[in-house]
Amino acid sequence: MENEKTRPIPLKDDNYTHNINRSNERSLDRRSFMKTMVGAAGLFAASTLPWGALAAKELMSSSSKSYPTQKIANLSDIKPGDAIEFAYPGEHDSALFVYVKEKEYKAYQNACTHLRCPVFWDRDEKELLCPCHHGKFDIATGKPLAGPPRRPLPEIVLQEKDGAVYAVGVKRYEEQL
Amino acid sequence: MKSSYRGVILLVLILFASIACTQYTVNMYFAQRYMEVLLLSGATVVLFPLAWMVFRKDQRDRREQGK
Repeated sequence: MENEKTRPIPLKDDNYTHNINRSNERSLDRRSFMKTMVGAAGLFAASTLPWGALAAKELMSSSSKSYPTQKIANLSDIKPGDAIEFAYPGEHDSALFVYVKEKEYKAYQNACTHLRCPVFWDRDEKELLCPCHHGKFDIATGKPLAGPPRRPLPEIVLQEKDGAVYAVGVKRYEEQL
Repeated sequence: MKSSYRGVILLVLILFASIACTQYTVNMYFAQRYMEVLLLSGATVVLFPLAWMVFRKDQRDRREQGK
């Protein structure tokens, strides 16, 4: 019989598939555990840098942004309970205008603050609803009422002029909170 | 021989702080509180060399103890 020690390939590894026999292949010792934690801390440090850069860019640019004035609708064309989707301030920033009731209207940027799904106006429930994960927002303040979102929707400042509604700006969060 | 967990516990705390700071950095960015973003991302960046120093010190101590 062949001796296990003199055999070039140990008998248990003499097969086509399970023949890799590294020592301590899957053990995680103290040193490598701590190294992993240091590496993770480094990864987090690197991942905050772009956010810091973006924030610095925002701080450097003028503190009060100027927004265009954009007509949304003529008040005579819409009835209370209606909602109109539009884009403000950029063409990719979708927004929702809601004519809640007579003399009361609100507009919000309607990308859900959870995962940016479009938020809809639920006329029966009188709430803004995100269908993706059933996030709900208060129509009066934009604050989240239910579901995963934690931040309010950014409110758009409206102005009524000559029987029409215009979007004139986006409120900063700290003014809203 | 009893091994000391001081270094490991310290590193776990540093990593936890760095996860929390990263999360708050992103939250504060979307809340448009940019000064806080800068402070928090600075804190996360500072935590990394701190973690590295704790690791080095732990390894040095263990070598001196002959482990």
